[in-house]
Amino acid sequence: MGRLLEVENLTVSFRTDEGLITPVQGVSFGVDAGRTLGIVGESGSGKSVSTKAVMRLLPVSARIGDQSCIAFTDRDGARIDVHALRPGARALRRLRGGEIGMIFQEPMASFSPVYTIGNQIMETIRLHKGLRGAAARDLAVEMLTKVGISNPAARVDQYPHELSGGMRQRAMIALALSAGPRLLIADEPTTALDVTIQAQVLDLMAGLQRDLGMAMIFITHDLGVIAQVADEVAVMYLGTIVEQGPVRQLLKTPAHPYTQGLIAAIPRLDRIDNRLTPVPGEIPSPSARPSGCPFRSRCAQAILGVCDRTPPPLTRLGGGQSVRCHLHDRARAVA
Amino acid sequence: MTDTLIEVENLEVAFEIGRKGLFSGKRRQLRAVDGVSFDIRRGETVGLVGESGSGKTTVGRAILRAIEPTGGRVLYHGAAGDLDLTHADRAELSKVRGKLQMVFREGGLDLASLGGTALRAFRPRMSLVFQDPYSSLNPRMTVRDIIAEPLVAAGLMRDRAEIDARVRDIAARCKLNLEHLRRFPHAFSGGQRQRICIARALVARPDFVVCDESVSALDVSIQAEIINLLKDLQDEMGVSFLFIAHDLSVVAQISHRVAVMYVGKFVEYAPTRELFFRPRHPYTHALLSAVPLADPDAVFAPDRLEGEIPNPADAPPGCRFHTRCPFATDRCSAEEPRWREIAPGHHVACHHAETFDFGRAEAPADLHIPEPAQ
Repeated sequence: MGRLLEVENLTVSFRTDEGLITPVQGVSFGVDAGRTLGIVGESGSGKSVSTKAVMRLLPVSARIGDQSCIAFTDRDGARIDVHALRPGARALRRLRGGEIGMIFQEPMASFSPVYTIGNQIMETIRLHKGLRGAAARDLAVEMLTKVGISNPAARVDQYPHELSGGMRQRAMIALALSAGPRLLIADEPTTALDVTIQAQVLDLMAGLQRDLGMAMIFITHDLGVIAQVADEVAVMYLGTIVEQGPVRQLLKTPAHPYTQGLIAAIPRLDRIDNRLTPVPGEIPSPSARPSGCPFRSRCAQAILGVCDRTPPPLTRLGGGQSVRCHLHDRARAVA
Repeated sequence: MTDTLIEVENLEVAFEIGRKGLFSGKRRQLRAVDGVSFDIRRGETVGLVGESGSGKTTVGRAILRAIEPTGGRVLYHGAAGDLDLTHADRAELSKVRGKLQMVFREGGLDLASLGGTALRAFRPRMSLVFQDPYSSLNPRMTVRDIIAEPLVAAGLMRDRAEIDARVRDIAARCKLNLEHLRRFPHAFSGGQRQRICIARALVARPDFVVCDESVSALDVSIQAEIINLLKDLQDEMGVSFLFIAHDLSVVAQISHRVAVMYVGKFVEYAPTRELFFRPRHPYTHALLSAVPLADPDAVFAPDRLEGEIPNPADAPPGCRFHTRCPFATDRCSAEEPRWREIAPGHHVACHHAETFDFGRAEAPADLHIPEPAQ
């Protein structure tokens, strides 16, 4: 049996006024049931675009490359080629919300302000579980209880604006989980929350994952959060995954200069008074991606005549860690 | 001349939020800042942390009269003598124009809209560094004009060549490419825009700058550079910062002393190292324990806090943290804890601070605590 989700060679391009831009270029990742993949990257790295492509939630101006393959194994064990599905297809509608749930950074923007929380959760339950009326309502209340919302029987009839930020994010999680998805995609779910609330939400998500055995893709820019929630990490930079591997190994022995730079740049509570080490330069815009290795314009170890010419191939480092960097390319070292 | 630059005594900011009852003449008050006292020294960075709604932004604005305080006072020990900012009139404020600056958070806030006449007079000495560098720069002004604005608006300089020289000087210090001064802000990335904002805040050579969430919107690889830049500029120019942020790790890197705010009050104020490694208030400890470290070996065991942050319009009696505090006793809900100095320079408001020593026992074994630089 293959992985729950397997994305191969995903390329996404957008037609814009400035011409064709390709924010995601040849990205491959996957996740197994019960595991968490963390995707780290700064703004413009393509982390949200690649996961939205999995749900086929991209705007019409977006095009997924012909060579791309997005395969999802549904609960009946059938392999669905998500990329080949017709927009609006029944299978796609079953996938969204049913098989794959998604939560976003700002729950206020994802809830409709004119329906109650319960109404919106019950809609999901109706569509994906076929429950109606009192049964749907009971399940909605049960979901709200599960995510730790106090007085759920009353909250279910409240509107999103009546809840605090932390409560809203909990309600969002309840909504995403109400259809019992097997994969949860969380796009910066705690970024807008205060740290004490973030800790509560992370704890809640870990507990629910344990209980329900679902897989999770957790997108964030915060390496601290990644260290706590993820089993595997993919580091994205300008639309490519530059490094991937088990979280411990990757944070302990980062191989790519960008990952190393990122880890050195974060201010840490256990290292006060050390001068911070920024990654030099600025992130280029996706429309001005450097030739060869995307990171070479900011890399201190870039090799002239190599890094600016050819995109680095994938090198496997052992222990499940892999990197795209010419410094680790053995074929080049031999030649 | 004393070492202290800004002295805040019992600062209060209350907003009226409607009547208590339909026929009641009494109005409900929201005390966003409820009796806050601290001081800021010359060339010092004071960090101010707290969760949303704690009132930290209001403190920064009230010091500079961007919001009118409703009580207490703020003393400014300037080169030309002392001034009570809270009671100063326009003429007095205009004398310190340029010396106090702010770097704000929300982009939409225009300097001119900050307050009436009084503020207008002395705003060049206050600087604001906004959180969102995209919306706080006028798209129709060149970078040179944006940076020069505080000088021109306050009439501190009139001679174009003189202004140009000053702008080029501060732009170079902020590591901006001087070739770019004729361009418009849309051509710049987030990090560059934040440098422009900082240059604008520092061009009038202020004594004091309030930085409100100034690096929060930046990517980590860029954020480190801006933090280092602020430190360097402080060393060169001797400016003091009030650095307001919700990110504790950032505040720890830049601040000499840190204050923790909770529902309108300070709960703890101490030298950075003291506060982060020997917190005495349960709330400070809870905040610190909730920050996930990017170290897979670090134990992540956040304190379990019940419920959510109380609404400041309906603050709990006694200690405001007692509703969520794992150590709360009956005394905590009845009696408000005094703001007291528990160790030299270490202030705390907790009845039981003596019994808490959250110190190094919980710190990881390989905790790196460098000695203070002499």
